[in-house]
Amino acid sequence: MSARLPILLLGLLLTIDFSLATWLQPRSLGWRGRRAQADTMLKVLLGDGRRMFANHFFTKADAYFHSGYYPSLFDQARLQCENHLSGAAEEQASKGGPPDSKHDEHEAEHDFFGKPKDWLDRFSRAFRVTEHTHLSGGGREREILPWLKLAAALDPHQVDTYTVAAYWLRSKLGKVAEAEAFLREGLRANPDSEEILFELGRLLWENHRDAARARNLLEAALRCSERRAAGLAEPDKTFRGRILVQLARLEEQTGNLAAAIARLRQLQEVSPTPEVIQRQIAELQQRLEAPPPSGHPAAPPSMRQPGSDR
Amino acid sequence: MDAILKTENLRVEYRTQDSNGVKVAVRDLSLSVRSGEVFGFLGPNGAGKTTTMNVLLGFVSPTAGAAYLFGVDVRKPIARQRIGYLPELTYYYKFLTAEELLRFYARVFGLPRAETERRIDRLLKLVELEPARKRLIKTYSKGMQQRVGLAQALINDPDLLILDEPTSGLDPLGRMKVREIIQRLKQEGKTVFFSSHELGEVETVCDRVAIIHQGELKVEGRVDDLVRTHQTNLEQVFLRIIGYQPQSVP
Amino acid sequence: MNKVLALAGVVFKELYRRKDFYVLFFLTAVLTLLLASVNLFNDQRVVRYLKEVCLLLIWVSALVIAVVTTARQLPAERESRTIFPLLAKPVTRGQVLAGKFLGCWGATGLALVVFYAFFAVVSGTREGHWALGATFQALWLQWAMLAVVIAMALLGSLLLSAPSANSTICFILVGGILLVGGHLNTVALQQPEPLSSLIYALYFAIPHLEIFDVRDLLIHDQPLVGWGNCLLATLYAAVYTATFLLMAWWVFRRKPLSA
Repeated sequence: MSARLPILLLGLLLTIDFSLATWLQPRSLGWRGRRAQADTMLKVLLGDGRRMFANHFFTKADAYFHSGYYPSLFDQARLQCENHLSGAAEEQASKGGPPDSKHDEHEAEHDFFGKPKDWLDRFSRAFRVTEHTHLSGGGREREILPWLKLAAALDPHQVDTYTVAAYWLRSKLGKVAEAEAFLREGLRANPDSEEILFELGRLLWENHRDAARARNLLEAALRCSERRAAGLAEPDKTFRGRILVQLARLEEQTGNLAAAIARLRQLQEVSPTPEVIQRQIAELQQRLEAPPPSGHPAAPPSMRQPGSDR
Repeated sequence: MDAILKTENLRVEYRTQDSNGVKVAVRDLSLSVRSGEVFGFLGPNGAGKTTTMNVLLGFVSPTAGAAYLFGVDVRKPIARQRIGYLPELTYYYKFLTAEELLRFYARVFGLPRAETERRIDRLLKLVELEPARKRLIKTYSKGMQQRVGLAQALINDPDLLILDEPTSGLDPLGRMKVREIIQRLKQEGKTVFFSSHELGEVETVCDRVAIIHQGELKVEGRVDDLVRTHQTNLEQVFLRIIGYQPQSVP
Repeated sequence: MNKVLALAGVVFKELYRRKDFYVLFFLTAVLTLLLASVNLFNDQRVVRYLKEVCLLLIWVSALVIAVVTTARQLPAERESRTIFPLLAKPVTRGQVLAGKFLGCWGATGLALVVFYAFFAVVSGTREGHWALGATFQALWLQWAMLAVVIAMALLGSLLLSAPSANSTICFILVGGILLVGGHLNTVALQQPEPLSSLIYALYFAIPHLEIFDVRDLLIHDQPLVGWGNCLLATLYAAVYTATFLLMAWWVFRRKPLSA
């Protein structure tokens, strides 16, 4: 065998390899289907399992918000069981009294340690985070951002990630541009998401005072919400209510009281407390009918639907 | 003269997986080695030589009987304070240099630092490893590793040297050097106890030998006495003792 | 003691002449610095995620160094036959075991110091303040935990002949205890008898390594663990370490070795 033969064989094999690769590659796009559109390393590596990781990192952001004070899987399972049990007992015993305040509910939910079960449990608590606190002040809320960003990268279709991150970015960290950019990134992945449209609309009004664009976005959110509700037997009216509240507020703050009243009337149809809305409508109607004092725009009453604020 | 090395009715049994259950590796072995002599411990493969050495060095506990070094039971670590051991297969910590290895063993013996450095210099010259003292042992050839083994066996200036096949795998030059070292040690009054298959060498350097076969001591005595009694060389004596019958050529 | 320290010194030399530590440190440093360079909404002061990732890498690396180094000590001595010239010296098997333990533990401790120094520099420069007390406490507690793991691995190396099998089992046990060990009492209370009693017995029997994991306190700038509790935890680790070493000595002293 001559010395050149192995080199020639190698060259031939490499040529065949490259030719086959160029012939196979367009055909492989067909039989791989949706997976062929994977364009990030995370998607390629993790596949559909990335959604599980995305949920994990979203939870991690919550854990960070509580400075590490967070129930483990075992604590969560026990809490669920106990809450289920206590919920059933309350349902039987109570006659539908007023619910606890949100703060008490939150505290109760996060008091998952309970009494120590044994001396080892008691001792080990000295080495864990046992105080329920929230990250607040001094921009410390920024610590949750990496996990939200990672969750979004892993599952761009989890819209909560975008809305939560945008809230903290614009309201506590003063990063309005970043919040808007993140929401737009979310909107590209979820063009019909009423939550993201709503947040964007809020941002444009509350931070940029751009009424026209904000109104467009909020109305788009409303349309998406209505479209989705049309396909459901029992649609969730809460979020639709929030959009209408925001629209009504925007109209009121821009002086379009009639439009504000129209939104409030829409809100009455979905609100669990229509009488409260009615009072607000009456207030606005009074202002609409009364002549405005010269040079002073009307001071907006606070317009809150119960449970609408974080 | 007191025995430096002594076994009394030494018996070592191993469990086996066949139907018999027990294999007797050493059967009621009693021998003694006196101070200042070079003692050859001979036997065919599987005779029990290595097992006997394992007992003497504390690697294996005897099933019955006893073994003593310098009058101390071999089960006590102090019995090994004055011995040096060169195993047949010499592997040492590959990530150490020869110098570091000797320094480590010297520290195990509790030698003072100044004395340690003096001995390291002397021994590395003796075994001709001075140029390679700072190289890692993993770069050494087999012959160099064997010489490192000899150096570590001598680091504590032992009164008794136990050598297991010291010339195994060495070229003729290496074997000659080992023989020279053994003779030098004898002149210094040290005792050497070694096993070997090189009967020509044994005949040259040993004062006394013991031949063991199938775990039993067959003969123990002075080399020249055995040669004179059997009127032949040590190799023929050995073959006769272990009962070897040459096959007749058809 | 001199003999034990001499033996420990050999283990030290082995660790820093092998590549394991350098590779793991390099990986930790590279991954941490890469993550530090990520643009997170144009905010350079986000630091806790970096601390978490760095500490996770430190924990994994330290466990790998501890388990892999320890698991191969005695089997490698037997396989390479270096155990024979060693035991032919006036040294007991107990001293060999003690030397191996001290060497592995000391070497791992040294590795931890380097890792935590890197962590302190990264987090300090990013945060603008230096939590040296908390960092030292985290290092100390992790080192105490690793004493238990190393003693366990030494015992495993005498019961299992293959270092890979020993390492795998150690990793599974340690991982299991870290993840689930602290919750066995919760699981036990939900089971019927006699399973409940069995699980509770297991809960008390296992060394609770998760106690020593104070990463959350360090990440979230929580107050230090009380030094009294720290001392108690160290004693807890010492008791389990001594137990495993005693069991290892019991096995080793009876083991026949054939040259």
